Amino acid sequence: MRALVLLALASPAMAEPVVPVFTEETVPSGLATSFEGDWEYMVGGGVATFDCSGDGKPEVFLSGGVGLSALYVNRSPVGGALAFENTGALELDAVLGAYPLDVDSDGIMDLVVLRLGENRVMRGLGDCRFEQSAWGFDGGDAWSTAFAAIWERGQTWPTLAVGNYVDRKEEAFPWGSCTDNWLHRPGPDGQGFAPPIPLTPSFCALSMIFTDWNRSGQPALRVSNDREYYKGGQEQLWHLDPGAAPRLYTEAEGWKRLRIWGMGIAAADVNRDGFQDYFLTSMADNKLQFLKDPATGLPDYADLAFKSGVTAHRPYTGGDFKPSTAWHPQFADVNNDGWLDLFVAKGNVAKMPDFAAEDPNNLLLGQPDGVFVEAGDRAGVASMGIARGAQVVDLNLDGLLDLVVVNRWAPAQVWRQTGTPGGTWVQVRLQQDGANRDAIGAVVEVRRGAVVERHEIAAGGGHASGSVGWLHYGLGEADSAELRVIWPDGTEGAWQTLPAGSFQILRPDAPAEAWLPQ
Amino acid sequence: MQFRRRQVLGFTIAAPVALKFSPALAADRADVSREVVLMWHRLILELVRHTATYVPPVAARAFAYIGITAHEALASGDGRLVSLAGQLNGLAPLPARADGAFDAPCVLHAALQGAVAELFGNTGPTGQRAIQAMGRKMGETASAGIDAAVVERSVAHGAAVAGHILAWARGDGGAVIENMGFPMEYTPGTRPQDWVPTNLIRLQQAPLLPQWAGCRTFAIPAADACDAPPHPAYDEVAGSAFHDHAREVHEIGRGLTDEQKLIARFWSDDPMLTPTPAGHWIAIVLQIAERDALPVEVISATLAKLGVAQADAFISCWSTKFKYNLLRPVTYIRRHIDPAWEPLLITPPFPEYTSGHSTQSGAASTVLAAMLGEDFAFDDETHVDEGLPVRSFPSFAAAAEEAAVSRLYGGIHFRFGNEAGLVQGRQVGAFAAALRTEA
Repeated sequence: MRALVLLALASPAMAEPVVPVFTEETVPSGLATSFEGDWEYMVGGGVATFDCSGDGKPEVFLSGGVGLSALYVNRSPVGGALAFENTGALELDAVLGAYPLDVDSDGIMDLVVLRLGENRVMRGLGDCRFEQSAWGFDGGDAWSTAFAAIWERGQTWPTLAVGNYVDRKEEAFPWGSCTDNWLHRPGPDGQGFAPPIPLTPSFCALSMIFTDWNRSGQPALRVSNDREYYKGGQEQLWHLDPGAAPRLYTEAEGWKRLRIWGMGIAAADVNRDGFQDYFLTSMADNKLQFLKDPATGLPDYADLAFKSGVTAHRPYTGGDFKPSTAWHPQFADVNNDGWLDLFVAKGNVAKMPDFAAEDPNNLLLGQPDGVFVEAGDRAGVASMGIARGAQVVDLNLDGLLDLVVVNRWAPAQVWRQTGTPGGTWVQVRLQQDGANRDAIGAVVEVRRGAVVERHEIAAGGGHASGSVGWLHYGLGEADSAELRVIWPDGTEGAWQTLPAGSFQILRPDAPAEAWLPQ
Repeated sequence: MQFRRRQVLGFTIAAPVALKFSPALAADRADVSREVVLMWHRLILELVRHTATYVPPVAARAFAYIGITAHEALASGDGRLVSLAGQLNGLAPLPARADGAFDAPCVLHAALQGAVAELFGNTGPTGQRAIQAMGRKMGETASAGIDAAVVERSVAHGAAVAGHILAWARGDGGAVIENMGFPMEYTPGTRPQDWVPTNLIRLQQAPLLPQWAGCRTFAIPAADACDAPPHPAYDEVAGSAFHDHAREVHEIGRGLTDEQKLIARFWSDDPMLTPTPAGHWIAIVLQIAERDALPVEVISATLAKLGVAQADAFISCWSTKFKYNLLRPVTYIRRHIDPAWEPLLITPPFPEYTSGHSTQSGAASTVLAAMLGEDFAFDDETHVDEGLPVRSFPSFAAAAEEAAVSRLYGGIHFRFGNEAGLVQGRQVGAFAAALRTEA
């Protein structure tokens, strides 16, 4: 079945995809935060992008490790050079990663901060000011390295999943010491958080994401785990039925044991069959999983990374050909040609001699035949920094996706896309009244000819990095986008035709509202 | 447990000692020595699992050098023991002890610390941190209550022993592993029976360590000294002997019992997820040593001989594998019997004949039977942490036979590859068993 889908996507004469051009603007932009620290900071190093100033442009929050984290307000002119100003807010130590989430649905973005030690949920106050929330969130005391959030059906308060890593107090025998992941469900009155539920067994999660993998309308929790430290572990998929205790998918339900150095998850409908596909980062070969046969209802995935050209198992430039170490993955249509591309942040754990020391980030461009081609070096983003988290996001609202990458022991880097776009685009923002203002858990369907590309709107995944804001879709040569939203409560919005090159705010039962960046 | 707590190889068995960091009692240096050897090996099992180059042949090599290091550290100060210098290929006499008193635990600790630091110099940051922690804690344990001058002298000698063995090791052809053991380029064979890659991992489109047979052997005279006879003639015709062997793998795989699945997984011993097949047998020895309070001299001699046997077994087996270059069952079965067939275990990325696990298990069981007894019953709890149960065996030979047949249940070997591997391994093991460690 999968082969048929790939064949259907093939075009008789394929042109080389348009290679986007990026210009690094780290120093002039004003970003100057490094992810510092020794052993306890070998993982993590996330970045969060979200608008807290109200101008629609994404601000940038950078983890600092043993140094201080920093929130940079975005001063970039629309379409112009990137410019950021350190707000001095959210200067926290021991930060490993962060995810934006409007927890209390007040229309002001909050920020979940993963730390070595106590995690924090910082309540947004407006104008990029934050305070420690008083929502009963138990931040615990662990090495927190993964996050995902969802509004469970009928709830007005989100459920947060936090992934934890090794027991950092173990010195000689840390292996097998993975500490419990936590599920923070809403409190009994639907506001605030109940004490966390341990997601036992836990296997040193480095990424997690809520995903409706089988289109049942009931998201499950996918967890990618680092086999370096677990014993008896594997990748995981949890049932999360409303009101019921979480429980693992089992072998009897079709779940297949997979043991990798799981470091990051990117989910997208890569092959346009309406189901989410998953790219899992690891060391050496990475995985690209397609559901083998949706009709069976079994969570049984085929790894088509090799066939799709996305193993990204060793550096493709720079002369160091030892195996790679991959962290943050993200699908996005970087060149606006209508095909999803894949960015992968790369970097050695810490001077591991058997793995590449010069390990360039990947920018793999999607093509109609399902095979990706490497363009990181040609695009100008093949940094040899020791990368960890990242976000592919339009920082200056010109319709071209830009890139920010956190590096270990070196300043985060930011690139502005400056070349000629390979197609048109549309960007939408989902907004709904009441709980879950940003419609986490919704699906945006984009019709492309005879097929529909299905995008889950998730809070989580990647590597310690997340974003809430404009959702970008490349359109190729089209002068408009045809799309609809399936809202988190299952309501199917009407198909809408939106003009290319525009920003649109979408609400349930309302026509799209055009928005102009200032 | 049938082990009789009296004497093994002339050494009185000590009282059981719990594996934990505890202050050493000066009056009981033998127990401290045991603790040093056992704790370092416990860490080494983890390092093997967590160091990317430690695929099975490489792991066996390291176990051999570490076991030899422990034995030589003791032998240099104990007239009851015999050095392996002159018995192992290329091993010159070890440095003699200087004048003055020495402390065996301190010598052992320094020797093992030195060997581990180099052999696992490429492990990751967590492994390096663990090595440092173990060095610190075992150093404190070994030296507690011992005169500083004796400690200093002992540590210097232990380091010299390690240095001598490491210098010997560097020249064996197996010291440098690149690309996790997979060649950057590989030209596959063109015969229908030739091995082809069996997975879609890009790194594994070439076979693991095709040059490993070029490594210097330890006790066997040459890599091909214990070569296996030719496998059944390759044939694709139904009803041929070869086809029947493939059909057996297919049929067993389709009808696996829970017990057979358990056996397959118990002996799967995958690199990066377990201490590898060689480490499994090392773990068995450590469990026996702890339960039965084997004297440190017996532990070290056993680990040395076991390590030698397993390292030679992999060299011998790899010589055979790349001589015949035979395809795996999954390749044949999908081509000629069932295109959709999936084996229970992940097929290792190198040729089939002979089975590596069978070969090294045959070698290991031969050595252990010679050291501890033919009918030595034991429980194996190596994979309890992984959620697998304890398995009990009436003898080392029985365990080796189960390890061999596990590869058939797992769908990764033909029966003939397992059986020939066992025979090959027993021949290799006889060389290690014949090494003299006692005067």
